[in-house]
Amino acid sequence: MITLRVNEVNKNFGGLQVLNGVSFEVKGSELIGLIGPNGAGKTTLTNILDGALKPSSGTVYLNGKRIDPFPPYKVAQVGLGRTFQVTRSFRRMTVLENLYVPALAMNHGASRKQFEKQALEVLDFLTIAHLRNEYARALSGGQQKLLELGRLLMLDPDFIILDEPFAGVHPKLMEIIYQWIERVNGEGKAVIIISHDMDTIFSLSRRLLVLNYGVLIADGDPAKVRKDPVVIEAYLGHDNQELREVSRVAAGSPKTASDIPENGEGRTSRVDSSGLTGEGDA
Amino acid sequence: MRKWVPRLAALVAVGLLFAFPAIYNRSDYNFVMHLWITAFFYAILASSWALLAGYAGQFSFGHMAFMAIGAYGTGMFSNYLFFTSAPTNLCTEFRLGSRYLVLLDPIGVSSTKKNCLEIASNSWPADVLVWQPSIWWGILIGVLLGAVIGFLVGALVLRLRAAYLALFTIGFSEILRATISAEIPLTRGQAGLELPPLFPHGITLLGRTFSATSKVPPYYVMLVLFLVCVAFMAWLESSRFGLFIRSLREDEEAAAALGVNTVRYKILVFVITSMMAAAAGAVEAHYIGIITPNILIILQMSLVIAMAVIGGLESIVGAAVGAMIIQFALEFLRNSFTIGSVTVDMSIWRLVFFGLLLMLTLRFWRNGLIHPILLWFSRARTKEETVATRQITEPAAASEVQEES
Repeated sequence: MITLRVNEVNKNFGGLQVLNGVSFEVKGSELIGLIGPNGAGKTTLTNILDGALKPSSGTVYLNGKRIDPFPPYKVAQVGLGRTFQVTRSFRRMTVLENLYVPALAMNHGASRKQFEKQALEVLDFLTIAHLRNEYARALSGGQQKLLELGRLLMLDPDFIILDEPFAGVHPKLMEIIYQWIERVNGEGKAVIIISHDMDTIFSLSRRLLVLNYGVLIADGDPAKVRKDPVVIEAYLGHDNQELREVSRVAAGSPKTASDIPENGEGRTSRVDSSGLTGEGDA
Repeated sequence: MRKWVPRLAALVAVGLLFAFPAIYNRSDYNFVMHLWITAFFYAILASSWALLAGYAGQFSFGHMAFMAIGAYGTGMFSNYLFFTSAPTNLCTEFRLGSRYLVLLDPIGVSSTKKNCLEIASNSWPADVLVWQPSIWWGILIGVLLGAVIGFLVGALVLRLRAAYLALFTIGFSEILRATISAEIPLTRGQAGLELPPLFPHGITLLGRTFSATSKVPPYYVMLVLFLVCVAFMAWLESSRFGLFIRSLREDEEAAAALGVNTVRYKILVFVITSMMAAAAGAVEAHYIGIITPNILIILQMSLVIAMAVIGGLESIVGAAVGAMIIQFALEFLRNSFTIGSVTVDMSIWRLVFFGLLLMLTLRFWRNGLIHPILLWFSRARTKEETVATRQITEPAAASEVQEES
């Protein structure tokens, strides 16, 4: 079973304490939302889990193996994959080549040919198979996001962190990303989603982590977390549009009548309202 | 079909290059042969630099320094190492079984001073043998030196990017040049270090005997070295190595997050390209017969960069072909011409035209001039394929979604 154990992780940048005693544990194929205001330490935590940053103190174990001293490539090979807040495709490489990079990195002595079928299946799933021989730079912003997700499918890690997967994404593409998350979660992988899109986070995740000023202030069932006075207090204490959004969702008051994200049920209505079922603009 | 054209063209070109010394019989034979040898030399440098800078994104200005390391490596070897069958009791020497490995003292620039071996040989009986190890060992040592120093430089510049890497490698190159210039007793500085020819006693090839000064044997040595380097790099390019170094050029963090050991591949690409530059330098040094620190001035490095840029930075073959074309163009553009009453002295102006070509290439053809031609063949019908498959898959995808909901 997949396990991730984060023990008392601290991280200082000079005098700034970005993470303060963060501890949590993930068991099995959980689907977890990680939220917090800007500067809460979400991306820093991701970078520590992925090996790009070393914690000032504390440890991280993945499947019983201590990974915090590992460099990123080793963390990836041990089974933790991530996307980046800003899309980072290999722009002057073709779409297929983008997918071959993780596949070959994970399989020594393998050739590109061996992964062609798998790569095409992945691209089919992401609806960008027709672009397979184009350079990644020719892809739209949304398609590059999909390509990043495709690379993760080729890497095939046990544990996945998605940093802002829905930022600037059209509803049609969002639906594909939803399917992607369902797919990897269904394959038994654990997924942490970082997002500022509260509707999505509350409808997708079955567990919610809330970071505030580097402290993990809540961890648990989204329904309970949204009513946690500490969370509400932390969020309401700031003058911030996004935080008011949280309290809005937390209070359960919808933005418009057609957009009701009620913990999972909001998904189908989203598809309907996005116009995906209609013309399918070819 | 179209994808096979470049391969066929390459095969024909290689065949022609092998046959050239036998076919060509004009009066400028030696001059043209010399141009070809130099063209191969620059082609190795430009294409290996393309692998380093174009593929791996490591814009090093120290490539000529590795060429010089190869040249001086074998130069020192052939000037200082001798075997004798009797001890000199004057030089630094090591006994190896029945023979002695003799290290000469620094030569210096004065020609009147006799070295310790010459002094010792005056008092030896006639049957004492003095011989040099094969120069191929020297070339090998030059290449290994290139590998070791390439490894060290690669490890040192791991965290340096773009302008910082360029500055670091310029610094490295200049330090090496200054050291070679300053160590006059050892390297003879600007006076130049002399080297024996590739085949000091001539060679017999296919029944024909060539003298030590013939251009034909060095032509084939350089051609084979060039082809081996390009073939090896083409193989690397198609392997995981090529994929990984391009991914680290595009985005090092993303490549690492996908399991690529970026440190290893960055160092490896430095080692491999440094070895090729060193090999080219070592062979060229024996062919020319004398080397000076001027072989690694910035202008030389700029020439190699310009060749790679004009040929195509992201193409091994493009850079190599670019180097050859420019090498020949620079020579043939020496012919001055007259327009009315104005005589254009091309021996000076050719560099202006060359600079202009470089600037225009950078502005309008960032992929170089040769690379796009190769792409036109290798990426044939990509556009049509994209459009065609989109038309097939998109209606299907749309109907799938319809079914789902």
